[in-house]
Amino acid sequence: MTEKITPKREKLLANLRVQRYTPGKDRVPYFDNFKMDVETGMTVLEALRYIKDTQDGSLTFRAFCRSAICGSCTVVVNGNPVLACSTQLMPILKDFGKASVTITPLQRLPILRDLVVDIDPVIEKLAKMHPYLMENRDRIPETLEQESLMSQKEMAEFNYITDCILCSACFSACSTVKVDDNYAGPLTIAKAYRFSVDARDSFRGMRIQAAMDQGLWSCVQCRKCINVCPKDTRPADSIRHMRRIAIDDGIHDTPGSRRAKAYTDDVEKIGQVNKPMLPVVVHATKGWAAIEEAEAALAKHGLEPTRKVCTLPGQEGAAKIYAKVREIEKQNKEKA
Amino acid sequence: MLTYDVLIVGSGGAGLYAALKSRMEEDLQVAVLTKVYPTRSHTSAAQGGVNAALGNKDATDTWQDHWFDTVKGSDYLADQDAAELMCREAPEVIREMEHWGCPFDRTEDGKIAQRPFGGASKIRACYAADKIGHVMLHTLYEQGIRHGVNYFNEWMTLSLLHDGQRCLGVNALDIRSGKLHTIQAKAVILATGGYGRVYWNRTSNAYGNTGDGVALAYRAGLPLKDIEFVQFHPTGLRRTGILMSEGARGEGGYLLNALGERFMDRYAPEKMELGPRDLVSRAIETEVREGRGGPDGEVFLDVVHLGKERILERLPQIRELCCAFEGVDPLKEPIPIKPTAHYSMGGISTDINGLTPIEGVYAAGESGCVSVHGANRLGGNSLLDILVFGRRAGNHATEYARHTDIQPMHQNPLEPAETCIKALMDGDSEETIADIRRDLGNLMSKKAGIYRNAVDLTEGQAGLAELKARYKRLKIKDKSPIFNTELTTALELGNLLDLAEIVVEGALVRQESRGSHYREDFPQRNDEDWLVHTVALIGSDEHPVLHFEPVKITQFQPEARTY
Amino acid sequence: MTEQQQYNDGKLHYAFYSGCCFQGTDARFFDILQQVFDKVDVELHLIPDAVCCGAGVIEERSELTSLSINARNMAGAEKMGLPFYTPCSTCFNVISNVQKQLGEDAKLFDQVNDILAEDGIEYKGDCKLTHTLWMLAQDVGLSKLSERITNPLNGIRVASYYGCHTRNPADIQQYESSQNPTSLEDILKVLGVEIVDYETRDDCCGYHINWPNNQLAQKMTGSVLQGAHKQNVDLMVTSCPLCFKNLDGVQPKALAAAGQDFQLPVLFLPELVGLACGMSSSDMKLDFHSVPVNVRL
Repeated sequence: MTEKITPKREKLLANLRVQRYTPGKDRVPYFDNFKMDVETGMTVLEALRYIKDTQDGSLTFRAFCRSAICGSCTVVVNGNPVLACSTQLMPILKDFGKASVTITPLQRLPILRDLVVDIDPVIEKLAKMHPYLMENRDRIPETLEQESLMSQKEMAEFNYITDCILCSACFSACSTVKVDDNYAGPLTIAKAYRFSVDARDSFRGMRIQAAMDQGLWSCVQCRKCINVCPKDTRPADSIRHMRRIAIDDGIHDTPGSRRAKAYTDDVEKIGQVNKPMLPVVVHATKGWAAIEEAEAALAKHGLEPTRKVCTLPGQEGAAKIYAKVREIEKQNKEKA
Repeated sequence: MLTYDVLIVGSGGAGLYAALKSRMEEDLQVAVLTKVYPTRSHTSAAQGGVNAALGNKDATDTWQDHWFDTVKGSDYLADQDAAELMCREAPEVIREMEHWGCPFDRTEDGKIAQRPFGGASKIRACYAADKIGHVMLHTLYEQGIRHGVNYFNEWMTLSLLHDGQRCLGVNALDIRSGKLHTIQAKAVILATGGYGRVYWNRTSNAYGNTGDGVALAYRAGLPLKDIEFVQFHPTGLRRTGILMSEGARGEGGYLLNALGERFMDRYAPEKMELGPRDLVSRAIETEVREGRGGPDGEVFLDVVHLGKERILERLPQIRELCCAFEGVDPLKEPIPIKPTAHYSMGGISTDINGLTPIEGVYAAGESGCVSVHGANRLGGNSLLDILVFGRRAGNHATEYARHTDIQPMHQNPLEPAETCIKALMDGDSEETIADIRRDLGNLMSKKAGIYRNAVDLTEGQAGLAELKARYKRLKIKDKSPIFNTELTTALELGNLLDLAEIVVEGALVRQESRGSHYREDFPQRNDEDWLVHTVALIGSDEHPVLHFEPVKITQFQPEARTY
Repeated sequence: MTEQQQYNDGKLHYAFYSGCCFQGTDARFFDILQQVFDKVDVELHLIPDAVCCGAGVIEERSELTSLSINARNMAGAEKMGLPFYTPCSTCFNVISNVQKQLGEDAKLFDQVNDILAEDGIEYKGDCKLTHTLWMLAQDVGLSKLSERITNPLNGIRVASYYGCHTRNPADIQQYESSQNPTSLEDILKVLGVEIVDYETRDDCCGYHINWPNNQLAQKMTGSVLQGAHKQNVDLMVTSCPLCFKNLDGVQPKALAAAGQDFQLPVLFLPELVGLACGMSSSDMKLDFHSVPVNVRL
């Protein structure tokens, strides 16, 4: 029934370029390079440990569980944030077509030494989101005689987000973190959402406010975070969900929520987004400058500026869908 | 000098629970020292479940059943009053975790879901897919943020300070800056986890599970208990020792030798794959010794027959581990596994409140030994242990700190830590940490592993002596004080060497087989002579001196342990 | 999978989903696209009653609505029996995601079909989804493309830019590696240009954050442009029409905000393909660009 397993093992002499920096000793970070035999099955972490054990004991990096659950060992390999302990080296060498790999620390965070960065900024942003359950006494009993009851469906609302190991790969990859220091980063908003839709929680409004204060609508939805998350928690999806519950709860006055409403209503009414009018829908009176500019550009090319866009033929069908969905959502609300 | 009422060393489940309980008492200053960040702690790696007689899956389950299972599973070495307490308090701590938001899986009627586990007579392991430890740890950390627990992250504790009677505090290294600090504290709770890394290359433990708290308690003159009892988990991945959760067997996986036989039939015909861990580990080792293992001395865990949907729903993490670390997809082929050193039953000797013989010094979790697990721990009881005794130690330390004053500190308290570090920095040889560590792991696996005998153990003693001598000549080449991981790993190695010696001594002295300790030359359990705890104290020559203490038997008279 | 059996003319036919990106001055692209694809024997057939995909923003109000209207869009192509082509990267991303979600969740699939059934529409979920990149690089093929080049653009230094939505997340397309894609460079190489690597190639241009946050969008766009400019390129070419809008349309503001005073002409991939296949700059209406295209192409 079982077959003897005889794995095929390859070896490749590779060059590992690793960013080094020791404060007090080095003025700026620089690249060191280490030659070593990379075997099939070897992870980036194994390679780093091999170098530390046999070539340079001062090579500094974080590692703990080496089984992809503690989140310590995130580094950037050839520009991608990954968990060193669960990233196979051989496929990378082959995919990029050269026997060399570049390993750098997580981005957007201060470097403490070599590949070790200070993750306190992430923790601080996380803490601002109230990332903990605040008991809803309608659901959670006062005494410890019973657990609170929760349906499997209620669990499914947020359970996948509890896979997050705070590795900060998403933070490092995030396009908005790159340009905005005030932005909370994907994992923190995802955590805010996780608790906000936990049926046992009572602090949703505060978290929505906290998320908005830290840039809930600054996420550009580039979806890099989904790509790099080693636990498949899909932070960008959680960010959209967080926006949705914010709007559901009545946040209608921010540019972001206005945009969401505009897109949604426009497609129902005319089948497409009324882009020419979008600036004023989103930014009220401040939006006119942009509209006038765009109209001037059109006039320059002899095009007639218009603030109306044509209704697409599919609009009627779309409107029917909207009506039907409204019905369904109403029923769901009544059931709950 | 930094001063705290309660200082907790270690940020796993036990440490964080203790910290939460203490911090909620707002009149006290509480801090946690941890050499990693809290959510990195090894509690996060626990996969299968946490036991409590909630009766959600099997309404006939009681804490008394759980108590008996625990005592029997311990091969009757557990102190029965401690085990009783743990099983009794289990439902409460689980519910407290749930109230704090822990995302347990649910039954159809919305209660905490439970599943079968090895050695359990009834279904009582509460679970969250295969990541119960991870979600528990995060829940405790999150509530810690809520209640303002103070964390000293990446601070490694080097010495425990006391005046022979009462707690004074600790010395710790701030890894980031390389500065040493003395911290005064009325109470210290050591919760630094286990010492499975003495089996360096054949363990499921994290790199940092080097028994720091246990070693520093030992060196401070505190008694350690039952150190020779190290549980080997039967199913660790062949190449790395990474754990394949017992949950895989709980869901219905088969253990097969290279001939395709479900060999557990020979060793535990009733419970089969769900026999207790020590039994299964020995069964596997026997199969391999008798030539029925695979080409690398492994056997196989087969879940293919469970089908894609069930595996993806119930065991997703296990599947990822196999693919990432072994290159094997459990949907398609059986997983190659070997027994892996998994849990340290032994630890710092404490009473049922986690208190050691020094007032104000406590230990909880895997680094403590009350003892609730005796000679062998049941799956699902470790997570319970850390919750119950983390809580108890936290409560007791809080009360104690309220009614105590700060004691005057030694003169020059940093001196032992400074000396130790200087010795490492100034070593004179070309010895490397990696060489000594690897040799330690190989020595322990061969001479003091799953099967033990007097000849091997004696050779083990000699081998360790040599390793210790080599260690003394170790030189740290990295001279920077900033985040010096060469230094921290050298310090960890020192702790491992101290504890390895006690493992070997205890194993040599205990001339019987019980639980996870198996002597080929004394294969029977011997209650008449050996129903005792092995207690180790550091001798004047820095070698362990052993004496014995009776086991507390209250309810269950020792019987043969068959499943 | 749909087949192109009904047309037996040696051309490739696609159900064309334009999205809403070609509004205002960009409306010229409707004609331009068809002319460009004519050069490589591709014919586009507009899906008759498509609607805007919602760009993922509709999901911030109602996920079910987003799923349903996009299932409807795909059903349109399925009815035509043609593969679904869109030039817009975001539309591709959103619709591909919908196809994937509905493919993985049988209950959701049924629910969406119930909603569509009211209008007599059935969504099967089996149409092939593609984008300019893979339509050119794989369906048309690099050798056919090279045969049609009459004006090789040799010597021109080009920075190639994918944007984010044909790459992230990795599971929305099976055509190539998302970490290390090559389709754009493969196409550009055939056109004869010299491809220059630059450090901001994988960064986001920030289009989708223009409304609500103009400032951040300008920062992101400015950063991408500066990275390319550092390498002394003549042109930047992007396969995404929305990135094009930012990199070209927002360029003056973005660079001004960053205190930079260079100009970097930006082309939308079909424009460069058309030019290489013999179309003229006036055919291409290059003077509609915000940043003058002062390179002889």
